[in-house]
Amino acid sequence: MTTWLIVGAIVLGAVALWLLLPRGRKAGRRLGAVLGAIALGMLLATVPPLGGWFTQGLFWLLAGLTIASAACTVSFRNPVYCAVWFGLTLFGTAGLLFFQGAQFLGAATIIIYAGAILVTLLFVLMLANPRGQAAYDRRAWEAPLAATVGVVLLGLFSTGFFSTLKAMPQQTPAQVAAEKRQPPGKYAVSALGAELFSRHLVAVEVAGTLLLAALAGAVAVVAQHAQPGQVIPRPEGTVPPAREPNEVTVR
Amino acid sequence: MFSLDTLLVLVVAAPLAAAVLTAALGRWYLRRHAHWPALVAVAVSLAAAVALAWQWSAGLPALPAEEHHAGQTATEHAQHEEPTQPEEHETAGERYLGREHVVVLWRWAAVQGAWGTPPFVIDVVLRVDTLTCLMLLVVNLVGLLVVLYSVGYMHDDPGYWRYFTYVALFVFSMNMLVSVSNFLLLYVFWEAVGLCSYLLIGFWFQRPAAADAGKKAFLVNRVGDFGFALGVFLLWSALGTLNFHDTVLPDGNLVPGVLGQHWLSMPVPYGGAWGSRVAVVVACLLLFVGACGKSAQFPLHVWLPDAMEGPTPVSALIHAATMVTAGVYLVVRTAPMFLVSQSAHLVVAAIGGLTALMAAFIALTQTDLKRVLAYSTISQLGYMFLALGTASFAGLAAGMFHLFTHAFFKALLFLGAGSVMHAMGGVIDMNRFGGLRRRLPLTYWTFLLGALALAGVAPLAGFWSKDAVLAAVHTRAMENPLGEGYLYLTLYYTGMVTALMTAFYTFRAVFLTFHGEERLPEEAHGHAHEGPWWMTVPLVLLALGAVGAGLLGGPITDWLRHTPSLAFAARLTGTGHHGFHWQVAALSTAMALGGVALAAWFYLAQRQLVASLAETFRAAMLYQLSYGKLFLDEIYTVLIVIPLRVLGWVLFILDQFLIDGLVNLVGYLVRALGGLFRPLQTGLVQFYALAMLLGLLVLLASMLRWPLG
Amino acid sequence: MNEQALWLGYQLVAAALVALGTVGFLARRNMIVMFLCVEMMLQGVALSLVAWGRYHGTLDGQVLVLFVLAVAACEAALAMALALMLFQRRGHLDTAACFRLHEPGQEVQLVEQVSAEGELEEPEPEPTWPHLPPAGVEPQRDPEQEAYRSHV
Repeated sequence: MTTWLIVGAIVLGAVALWLLLPRGRKAGRRLGAVLGAIALGMLLATVPPLGGWFTQGLFWLLAGLTIASAACTVSFRNPVYCAVWFGLTLFGTAGLLFFQGAQFLGAATIIIYAGAILVTLLFVLMLANPRGQAAYDRRAWEAPLAATVGVVLLGLFSTGFFSTLKAMPQQTPAQVAAEKRQPPGKYAVSALGAELFSRHLVAVEVAGTLLLAALAGAVAVVAQHAQPGQVIPRPEGTVPPAREPNEVTVR
Repeated sequence: MFSLDTLLVLVVAAPLAAAVLTAALGRWYLRRHAHWPALVAVAVSLAAAVALAWQWSAGLPALPAEEHHAGQTATEHAQHEEPTQPEEHETAGERYLGREHVVVLWRWAAVQGAWGTPPFVIDVVLRVDTLTCLMLLVVNLVGLLVVLYSVGYMHDDPGYWRYFTYVALFVFSMNMLVSVSNFLLLYVFWEAVGLCSYLLIGFWFQRPAAADAGKKAFLVNRVGDFGFALGVFLLWSALGTLNFHDTVLPDGNLVPGVLGQHWLSMPVPYGGAWGSRVAVVVACLLLFVGACGKSAQFPLHVWLPDAMEGPTPVSALIHAATMVTAGVYLVVRTAPMFLVSQSAHLVVAAIGGLTALMAAFIALTQTDLKRVLAYSTISQLGYMFLALGTASFAGLAAGMFHLFTHAFFKALLFLGAGSVMHAMGGVIDMNRFGGLRRRLPLTYWTFLLGALALAGVAPLAGFWSKDAVLAAVHTRAMENPLGEGYLYLTLYYTGMVTALMTAFYTFRAVFLTFHGEERLPEEAHGHAHEGPWWMTVPLVLLALGAVGAGLLGGPITDWLRHTPSLAFAARLTGTGHHGFHWQVAALSTAMALGGVALAAWFYLAQRQLVASLAETFRAAMLYQLSYGKLFLDEIYTVLIVIPLRVLGWVLFILDQFLIDGLVNLVGYLVRALGGLFRPLQTGLVQFYALAMLLGLLVLLASMLRWPLG
Repeated sequence: MNEQALWLGYQLVAAALVALGTVGFLARRNMIVMFLCVEMMLQGVALSLVAWGRYHGTLDGQVLVLFVLAVAACEAALAMALALMLFQRRGHLDTAACFRLHEPGQEVQLVEQVSAEGELEEPEPEPTWPHLPPAGVEPQRDPEQEAYRSHV
């Protein structure tokens, strides 16, 4: 049963992705959405019951939200919409993290990803291509091939997970440890902080240095272009307004 | 004052310094004054050479008294196949083997016992003996006068600094050539003078004729130098050393030099070192091939007439007085080997005599003044080799003596020709000018003296030296009336005929140039005049030499006996009697005067006879032969140049289609293989990512446990 | 709670995110969207790591995710800078039009085709401007200025 569900999810998912990806035509998008929803349902249906109806419902909601918004991110033509949908994916992910008990990570995902990275990205998108819907956004590169490769990847992963699940012991190592009365609260934020600043102190410092270097690098990459007095030829694809010369002088 | 070592180093170092200085500074700083370094340096060299000769002579022992019968016994000695026992009655005079002094400057190469050979050690080492002194004096004296003359002659040439750089470099190389004491270094500087000669022949390299002449000289010299190199190899492999002198190693062992006292003092020189008689003969002949190339002897003489494309002072210095005599120097230096070989000298004598006759024959009809002089140089060099070919002390000394006097009068004649050329605006064809004696009186008189000396009219220099040469040949012919004697007798009469022809063509040139009605070419622009004093002073000084150098014959002969090579010759063959050969002298004077008279008759009195005479000879093909230089250039073209061209063409075709084809095939194969994968390189990021993912999928699939379930 | 089922559910969601990110990275040509897809894959990895951490009862998974987060922030900064540069120089963000690494002589017909077909799509509708009620002085409009921004 599980196998057929997975196979069905994969096949349907591939067709749905192909239909959804920008192909230069509108036709079939609704069908793709429907097929995608069915595939998503089939995929989630393979997960055994988690526990109570609330837990189960919350998981389905969060997982469905995450995957559906991810599919939208991939398939929307306007990159701004893509970014917004990606933001929704991030929220779903954050919810899943909370669901797992990783509160700090959930918060960090929202703050850093949705708050900083995604906003930067939107800025750039707005700066670069405010109108959206450029030719290259409307036409995917080899959509069927990409969709096939993607779902085959998913199928291989799922197969691997199911075979791993089969070989798993009855109780997870965490449960075994809990039974031995190890101190609870391991998932608390304070525990994570203690872990970070004791065992992983050097790595934290290195990560900080890396961030600094990336900051300097980004500034250098952008700044190298604009030197005073330099004449920048107008980009090929852009249309010069009537009043401006064909070149821009940096002041 | 200075020690011998200092003087010797000074002689060679001064021109080198001048060459370097002129090369470095000449173009931008010295410019019109570029002659000063060369002039000063050659003057210093000359002064040092004089001082060197003076000091060296002062330290020489008195020549041992010679017993009258020594020559006789020694000649028999030489003719015996294997004189095994040292002769008990050898006197002190026979044992005297000259004196030499060497200065070791630094070690140039030292290869210890490679391939089981004796250690190959080459020191940079200079030597002093009377032969070297004589050559240094000649080279630097003529060199100084020619540099002086060049200051006037080259005054407005754009390559002024280049010219003096080359000349200084040449004087350095030539000084080294005559003073090194090692065959390898001799070879090095042999090539160095060849290089300078090439550079100076092609001095006006914009002119195709000059560039071609330079190439021709270089290529023809390569043939000779190849022989020389082979000779050096053979010497090394046979004797295990290339030094002239004996060397005492730090451990007390003696390395006998090729021309050192050790071997020369043995009753059987070289003992069995050579292995066989043939090896000695081959070595001598190979060295002689080198001498032929450098000294323009038949059949390698063809480069010298073309070398006249260079500046005239260069012709005087390099192609008449000094460099071309390097071959003579080489043969005299290695005379012991020629004497020991007992047969190689016959080839030397025959080639010398043949060259003398041939060159004189060609010179009869040439109309280019410098070419007449060039062929006369070849002819006179032939005389020298004829003298050396007698393989007797008298002959060797006569050859050197002729070299000495010839340097004066031939340099004089060339500089005179240069003076004419200077006045005629560069024209040197004797058909285009004439009767210049009133226009160029000084040139005329000095040229006349030189011509008289060349013709061998008593009592000028050429008479004495030519007489010594012919006397040596005559003596040799009379010693042994059978066998070799026939050859020497033939050569003696050849020399006499050559003397007649020499006098004729020399005075033909004099009369055509300076007598008759006055004709000037257009290039002279009507203002033909003598050159500045820079040019006339050397003429006068050389004229003095051409007149007086002959008187030094006796002293030079005695002086040269202090050289080991020549002392060995003297020990082996005796010094010959110093007496004057009345018979030879009378005959050669008659020949010379006859030639002069004949020329005067044809070119002064009855010039219209010349045409009919030419017609007569034309009928016998002789005129064409002489005028066409025996067509040797054409023969060489057919025999050597064209086959080589054909071979080159064949190889070119092979290279073009076979070799290149193979190489291209390899290229095409690799390219075709690459073409299979080329479409994969689309440059598209997505495509690369896809390829990576496909690989990842395969990896994942292989990691799963199939079959599932 | 069924811990094993939870683990499986998280892994499936993570795998779906990674797969969708892959599809997006392969198919999309807008550089920024491709970057979004990469971030999406990173999210999938983060989920998987956290689930494994819960499974083992340790915090290593979460720590690792934190570092992934830091690296993703760096990556975002640099990638955005590069995207800006690309747009300044080229005037577009199309990665399929950037194929300078290709073998000389190899025609990249794909890209030409794609671009040409992309142009053939239905024309973009005219932007509709908000209709302001007549109050005060209407600012002068410059249609070119509105339609075009010269450069970033």
